[in-house]
Formats: sequence, structure tokens, C-alpha cells
Amino acid sequence: MARLKLSQWDNAIADCTECLKLAPDSMKAHYSLSQAHLALRAYDEALTHALKAHELCLKTLDKSLGTVTTHVLKCKKERWDDMEKRRIRETSELEMEVIGLLERGRDEAVREAAGLDEGSRREIEDEWRAKIDLVRDVFEKARPAREKRRQVPDWAIDDISFCVMVDPVITKTGKSYERASIVEHLRRQPLDPLTRDPLYISDLRPNLDLKQACEEFLAENGWAADW
Amino acid sequence: MAGHFAAKRLSKELSKIRSSLPPGIELVSADNFEEWLLDIRVLDNNPLYQNETYRLKFRFASSYPIEPPEVVFVKLPDRPIPIHPHIYSNGIICLDLLGQQGWSPVQNVESVCMSLQSMLTGNSKNERPPGDEEFVRGNRLRPKDIEFYYHDNDV
Repeated sequence: MARLKLSQWDNAIADCTECLKLAPDSMKAHYSLSQAHLALRAYDEALTHALKAHELCLKTLDKSLGTVTTHVLKCKKERWDDMEKRRIRETSELEMEVIGLLERGRDEAVREAAGLDEGSRREIEDEWRAKIDLVRDVFEKARPAREKRRQVPDWAIDDISFCVMVDPVITKTGKSYERASIVEHLRRQPLDPLTRDPLYISDLRPNLDLKQACEEFLAENGWAADW
Repeated sequence: MAGHFAAKRLSKELSKIRSSLPPGIELVSADNFEEWLLDIRVLDNNPLYQNETYRLKFRFASSYPIEPPEVVFVKLPDRPIPIHPHIYSNGIICLDLLGQQGWSPVQNVESVCMSLQSMLTGNSKNERPPGDEEFVRGNRLRPKDIEFYYHDNDV
């Protein structure tokens, strides 16, 4: 714990791993391990341990469910940001490479056309310029396309925390909420937020299809994790 | 646990409020996640509230929206306290939605404003709650600590 605070991530990982050998179901160890991995940008490991900590919180009715849920979202967000950054870099590299190839093709064609008359030479140059412009255009068009759908659908949003749901649970009325939010409310007041009918934590059921839909939505729109 | 809800949820409510609000509701200021000011108007022809604008003050605890916000009318030269059998002349509102029992975390700033609008719209009594003068003189409690006695439930 102290090592986490001191940002000694490698040591913290070693401690947690040691701890998990002795107690494989330690929620705190998974949670700390996830934090350390996240700090070291090992996103997949961070998410795996965050989800494990969330699962253990549920099993033991741990009070940290809210904190851990927030952390799971954070892992998803940072993991997506990283993938997005890499993808942008890769596509821009690809664009430069393709244009480089075309330019080389053009230079070669121009060299071969050296013996021809001025008109034909110009024709060949124009043809290549049009090709290169077209490729640039296609890359340009692909760019804003993924910026377009920057809207979170209402079905993915928990009406209490206003966050995208990580672990949605459904009530008797058919409405779903983030587990951490609704549990927090029901502890204070065992009433359905919409109908005010009696509702107990034990009445909640996981909504697996919605969970999967939210996961898929976040996988494509990682920015939404901290919308 | 309580605490990390409020700021995040309020920032999302705020961005929604800034992009659109129902008619008759306007945001006056929201410089932080503790206190917001909004103006409301009644949209129908109820003669009690015609041509008047009322100022509401919302105060949020770090446990919002699990706990209700504190909502009162504020008196200013051009912002009177609306006359209503559930609104004291110092701006304190007696509405079950805003109490510990009646509140639900799916309510939000916008829905509270709309409930207050319709509470005014539906009222025809040109009067203050019973014991208003005495209450206003004597009350030193915060609205959330007051045990309201609901005189009637039809207003």
C-alpha cells in the first residue's frame, strides 16, 4: 500500500503478487495490483485485476464496490486511449508509406517518359498527381468518420451516477442501474427509485445482455468511459 | 464511498443543462459543484404567478444524488418568493420530493425545477403555510433538518 503511494510500482507489483500466492482471493491485492499495472501502462493486466477485484467485491459484499467500479471504468478508458493513440500513429504511418510508394512510382514513370514529347510527359505527371491526391483524400475521409458517433446512447447510462454501466443489474420494474449506484441507494432506502415500491438488494438480478452491450459499446467508443 | 458520485454526476447534468433546458427554466450560475442558481417561470395563465420570475438556490452535498439537494427560493428585488401553501415566506419549500423520504436518486436538477413549476401551476390558494410568520421568525434549522408536517397532500 505504502509502495503504491510512493509510486514504487515494480515493488508494489512484487508485493501484491506475493500476497496473491498466499491469498488468491484478496480483493485489495487485486485492486492494488491493478493500480500498479495501470500506472506502468500494462493495460490488459490492469483491467484483468480490476475485474477480478470487482468480482470479489460482489462475492464478499465489500463496501468498496463503488471505488472499484470507478477504477474498472478508468482501466477501460486508459486502455482504449492507448489503443486509439497507437491506431492513429499506425494509420498516419501507413498513409505516408503509401504516398511514398506512389511518389516513387511517379518518379520512375517520369524517368521512363523522358524520351517522349512534352504533352505526353505532362499527361503522365497529371495522372500520377491525381492518383496521389485521391489516396490523400481517402485517408482524410476515413479520419472524421470515427469521430462522428461521439454520443452515448441512453441505454448504456446508469440514471444514478450518469456513467456508462460496468455491471448493470435489473429491478422488478425492468429498469437497469449500475450495481454500485443502486446498492448505495438501497442501503439508505429500500425503495425502487422510479415506483417507490419496496425493493431490496437481494431482488436485484444481473442484466447480462446489457452488460455485454455496454462492453461492446465501450470497446468501440472507449472515450465514453469518462464521458 | 459517498463523495465520488456528486462532482461527476453534476458535471454531466451541467453539460446537459447548458445544451438545453425546458421552457421557463434558466441556469443563472453554476460555478462549482456545491451551489447552483436557476430561475423558473410559470408558463400557464395562473394569475398568482403571472409575469414573475423566481430564483432557486440548489445546494449539493457530496452524497448527491443519493441524498437530495437542498432547494430554496431566494428573495431579490426582482425575484419575490412565490405565494403557495407549501412555501414559507423565507423561501423554504415543503415538498416531499425534496425530503429524505420522498427523494429518489433518479431525480435531477431539471426534474426538480419542473416539479416546482407544476407545483405552482396547480395551485389556486393565495396563501402561505399555516404558522408561516412564527416559523420564519423562529427557524434556525437547515431545510433538510426540518421535520415537515404535511398538512395536506392535495396541493
